[in-house]
Formats: sequence, C-alpha cells, structure tokens
Amino acid sequence: MARGLGELESTIMDHLWATNEPATVRDVLAHLRRERAIAYTTVMTVMDKLHTKGLLRREPVGRAYVYEVVSSKEAYTAEVMRASLAGSGNRAATLVHFLERLTPEEAKALEAALQVYPPGGRDT
Amino acid sequence: MIVAVILALHCVAGALALPRLLRRAGWADRAPRRAIAMWLAACGSVPVSALLAVFAAAVPGPVVGHGLAGWLEICAAMFAGDARPDLARVLAALAVATSVVVWGSCAGGAVLAGARRERARHAEALSLLGRHDNRLGALVVDHDERLAYCVPGRRGQAVITTGALRSLAPEQVAAVLAHERAHLRGRHHLLLAAAETFARACPRVPLFAEARAEVARLVELLADDVAARRHPRAHLAAALVRLATGRAPAAALGAGGETALLRIRRMLSPQPPLGRRERLTGGLTVTLLLAGPATLAAAPGLSALLVHHCHAVLPF
Repeated sequence: MARGLGELESTIMDHLWATNEPATVRDVLAHLRRERAIAYTTVMTVMDKLHTKGLLRREPVGRAYVYEVVSSKEAYTAEVMRASLAGSGNRAATLVHFLERLTPEEAKALEAALQVYPPGGRDT
Repeated sequence: MIVAVILALHCVAGALALPRLLRRAGWADRAPRRAIAMWLAACGSVPVSALLAVFAAAVPGPVVGHGLAGWLEICAAMFAGDARPDLARVLAALAVATSVVVWGSCAGGAVLAGARRERARHAEALSLLGRHDNRLGALVVDHDERLAYCVPGRRGQAVITTGALRSLAPEQVAAVLAHERAHLRGRHHLLLAAAETFARACPRVPLFAEARAEVARLVELLADDVAARRHPRAHLAAALVRLATGRAPAAALGAGGETALLRIRRMLSPQPPLGRRERLTGGLTVTLLLAGPATLAAAPGLSALLVHHCHAVLPF
C-alpha cells in the first residue's frame, strides 16, 4: 500500500509539473481516471500529504483547495542534488560521492593527466 | 600499576602520534582495504586501552588471575584478603568505563540515526524525481549536472543524472556504476559511519579526525579497485575526468581535488600489489593495535593464574 501511494505521489507530481497550472483534487482525479479507477478520497489524501511535505501549496477557493507546485521540477531537482552533494556535516554515513567538486585549476590538471596516458594504453 | 600506566600512555600517545605514524605507510593507496582496517583498528585501540588502563589501575593482577580460574575463587581471594581490590576504586573504574561506553554508543547511535534520516529524506525525493532504468540497474534523474553517487542502506541504489549519461560513453557509464555498486555491496557507509563515530565522540583527537578523512578517501580507492576488476581502468579514468570537470566549481565545498587526481593516476598506471614485507607490516600493525592492549592488560592476571593455579602442571 505504501508503495502504491508513493507511486501515486510521483504520478500526481509529474502531472502537476507537466501542466504547471493550479488544480483542484477533482481536476487531478479527472486526469488520473483516464488511466485507472481511483477514489476521490485517495487522491485527496495524497495531495494533502504532498502539501504537508512542502511540495504543493494550496489556497481555499470556494469549498475546495486549489493546489499548485511550489517549485518547478528542475528547481526541485537542483535543490535535492545540491543537498545530497553538500551532505552536511554527516558526509560519512549518508551518501558516498563519486567525486568531490573541483576548482577550474584542478580540472585542468585532471584533463592533463588524461592526456599524458593514451586511453586504453595500459588497462587491466 | 605499571600496566595501567603503560596502557594510559599508549592511549594518549596513540591518539596524538598514531596519525603521523600511520600516514607514513606508503602502501596504503595500493591496499586500501588493509589501510582502512589499520585506521579503524587504531581508532578502536585508543578507547580500549583507556578502558583497560582504568581496570588495570583498579583491580590488581592476581585478582584477575583468580577470576580466570573462576568466579568462586575470585570471591574467595577477595574475602581471604590477600589481594583485595579496593571497592571504591573498582566502583570508580566501573563508572569511568560505563561513561566511556555510553558516550561512544550515543555518538554511534547519533551518527547512524542521522544518516538514516538524511537517507530517507533523500530517497523520498528521489522516488518523485528518478526513474529506475533496469538496463543500467540504476536510478536516473533528470538533471544537467554530471553526477553519479549512491544512496546506501537496505534498499541501496546507484543514482546517475541524465547530464552524466549524456557526457559519458556507455562503457564509461558501466564503469562508474560498478564503482557505485562496489560502495553499496561493500557496505562502505558502515565503515564511514564507524570512523565518523570516533570523530564525533571525541572531536579534538587528531587520530580520529585524521582517520575520518582517510577512511573517506580510502573507500573511494577501494571502490575503484573493485570496479577495475570488471572494467578497463582507462574507462574509469576517463569517466572520472568527465565527471570531475563538467561541473560548476563550488568554492564553498573547497578542496579535495588531490583525491580525484590520485584516483585518475591510480587507474591509468596500476601499481604493483603489495610485497610480502608490506603485507606483513600491515597485518602486524592491525594485530598489534587490536590485541596489544588486551594482551598487556591480561599479562599480570595470566601470570598470576599460572603461578597460583597451574603450579602442579608447570615445572617451576
């Protein structure tokens, strides 16, 4: 069930990111029902959860809420990636990074190192 | 008492001088696994020798000897009064030992819990952003920056951005992902967590600070070596350069480029495996660090045991 909800979350977010327009639960439900049978309350619950997580903001319009994405998918991705790279003080236990960030001088030195050895020259 | 003093000296000297000594091991970069074991053993030996020093100071050796022969005998020895441990000293030792253990466990718990929380948050964001690519066996995230990393844990996964995929040839992608999977399969995050725990528990101890940085560096070398078993080293090297150079420089995150350079050089010109002498030195260092303090602490007790209880067997 948890997995199903997680999947629904990403479907709803993708829809809202793609349309980039404010939408009510009913709007989203109409979109989702094109592909599957789903209950109003389920969608409402998930959208409420996304609001709690800070991914959607909402305003009451009439008797319902109108939801809107807080930031674009690109901006959100950039933020998440930046956080993962920064890794806070606890770099040890969270994410093992492929490479640290480099200064331009260091990057040049790396390119030079690769130039010195022809690729495929001395592999295993 | 002499034993206690020696152990205490080892503890202090180890915390201060071991980093310089261990850094001199020229073979570390060629045998990262062994080097990681050495650093963690060094870290472990400091609190262990501190604990043993406290106990050696509080409990006379002969009592430990009797203890080895059985709890009944230790009681008998205590009540007989020939080597009675001072109750106040024993209690003080217990208090010190308990606080050391509790302090260490709290630091370890905080590190693990913090890591798990951070991972869970990140994994949740990834579940919205990424899509699993079965062919690659990794999570692909739409992002222009060239990134590849892994999120460890029970459902650990390798993550790569579309930016990285665009800039790398397929065989380079395979090499990079092999590196990430080496981290996951080797549970390198636990090694890092162990080193982090020591550093967190006693932030000012040079050995612990150094060990944390070294272990973080060495797990990268280790993962490179594992990836290089299945993939040509040149591909990994080229991928490292691509990933490291196509990125906006971030002054805030500062230095660390030497590791990248070292890793690329290592991949391009493989170094010979350890000779017998170096292997022996490494193994001996780990053994000494781990077993040395315990042997030292147990020595008076053991000799007492032999003298008091085994005189019938032994010729002297």
